[in-house]
Amino acid sequence: MVELVPSLLRQELDRLAADGQRIDGRGQFDGREVHLEVDCLYNAEGSAKVVWGDTIIYAGVKFEIRTPWPDRPTQGSLMCGAELRPVAHRKYEPGPPSPESIELGRVVDRGIRESGCIDMEKLCIVPGEKVWGVMIDIHVLSDGGNIFDAAGLAAIAALRTAVVPAERFDVGEDHTLLVNGTPIMASFKRAGGRFVYDPSEEEELGGDERIHITLGDEGHLHSLQKGLKGVFTPSEFAEILAVAEQKCSELREMVAEKEGN
Amino acid sequence: MGGYGDVKLLRDDGKRLDGRAIDEMRPVTIEAGVLPAADGSAMVTHGLNVAVAAVYGPMEAHPRKIQRQDRAVIDVRYNMAPFSTGDRIRPGFNRRSREISKVTAESLESVVLVERYPRSKIRVEIEILAAEAGTRCAGITAASVALADAGIPMRDMIVGVASGKIEDTVVLDLDKAEDNYGQADLPVGILPNTGEIAFLQMDGDLSIEEYNLAMEYNHKAAKEIHEIMVDALKRRYEGGEN
Repeated sequence: MVELVPSLLRQELDRLAADGQRIDGRGQFDGREVHLEVDCLYNAEGSAKVVWGDTIIYAGVKFEIRTPWPDRPTQGSLMCGAELRPVAHRKYEPGPPSPESIELGRVVDRGIRESGCIDMEKLCIVPGEKVWGVMIDIHVLSDGGNIFDAAGLAAIAALRTAVVPAERFDVGEDHTLLVNGTPIMASFKRAGGRFVYDPSEEEELGGDERIHITLGDEGHLHSLQKGLKGVFTPSEFAEILAVAEQKCSELREMVAEKEGN
Repeated sequence: MGGYGDVKLLRDDGKRLDGRAIDEMRPVTIEAGVLPAADGSAMVTHGLNVAVAAVYGPMEAHPRKIQRQDRAVIDVRYNMAPFSTGDRIRPGFNRRSREISKVTAESLESVVLVERYPRSKIRVEIEILAAEAGTRCAGITAASVALADAGIPMRDMIVGVASGKIEDTVVLDLDKAEDNYGQADLPVGILPNTGEIAFLQMDGDLSIEEYNLAMEYNHKAAKEIHEIMVDALKRRYEGGEN
């Protein structure tokens, strides 16, 4: 479906930005309310549900046993995919994975992979013969804006609560998956000429470029992505990076709290 | 239906492995209006099954070749999430999900007043998040509540229920083990107010008497589930919050 960007919406976003306001009354760097639930799906070895404003996303972790790549006989693998199914919004249509859903899956994948939170060597069962393949599937059920941050949060929370189903595959006892770190994403969107944190659906429709930043526990960058048309300045990036540091540590605490339960 | 005879599914006390009586259904919960982006939505848990349905429309039907001059078309997609089953399933349509989508659409067309919306399309998206036998029935129930939540006029809702046969005994609402090792499965979609049937599939082996008993169980369960559906819609619209 072709999305029309009403010029009135753009004008309104410009007008609000001039007054330092946002269309839903939030401040420039205020996020919406976030609810996280873990271990919520039967059959998934790890699962999480994130309700982030009007956005609802599930992530599920599944394991399979596969033969390792010949050049990495002792390493398992990790894959993160996303589906923007037509259930999530009237703008999504059925068919093969869209460029948008591929981008979403890959940006989340890079943040988790590059943070090094999964030690691929630990996924080895028999060197050269059997390794675990870990698959995270992100399922977007309702797109109310900022699906990237919600997907990233659901994915890492599902991964951190996953149990390796060794008994089902007859290769030992079930054990929790070792995850050393909690990479978290923070996304910004240019709306009304300046960057805002956690864009709503309307800001996504009437805004310009977006920037996704994934930070690890030490505050290091693990994945960056700029999407859509637009350019930004180094000082704009410095400003949103400082906001990202704060937002990511808040969400990391939320994940830790849920794991404790 | 495989493995008849090699797996014990009924206990010595006549109860089933999970402790249910032969005519007892798994617990069902329903919530309406769960997805903010959709025009109507519902989540159904039926035992360990989780089904979510979203309704979009009525909207313009495109491409134009799918348009019907005298009625709306109902476009149903039944889809299992990759993590909904024991082994991960590859994303995307397969033969099973295409068939279920087709017959579900046809059953919903039998109750929705499609003639009110010529040349338009009503999209019904059914997503299975967790599967433990009986997902198509949970999906039909969820779709009915989502259509009602979207305010789309219907003659009646459809309740998805199934009965089957294990160890030569007719039982209501097969679970995973019973579905895998049982002898028959009879999923139906029942219009609770008239008792008419809008959805019917069956596989396995049933005598006419067994079919009649299975249907009796299905009608009984449909009444129970219908009450839960109505209750979900009342909760959604009572109090004027929405």
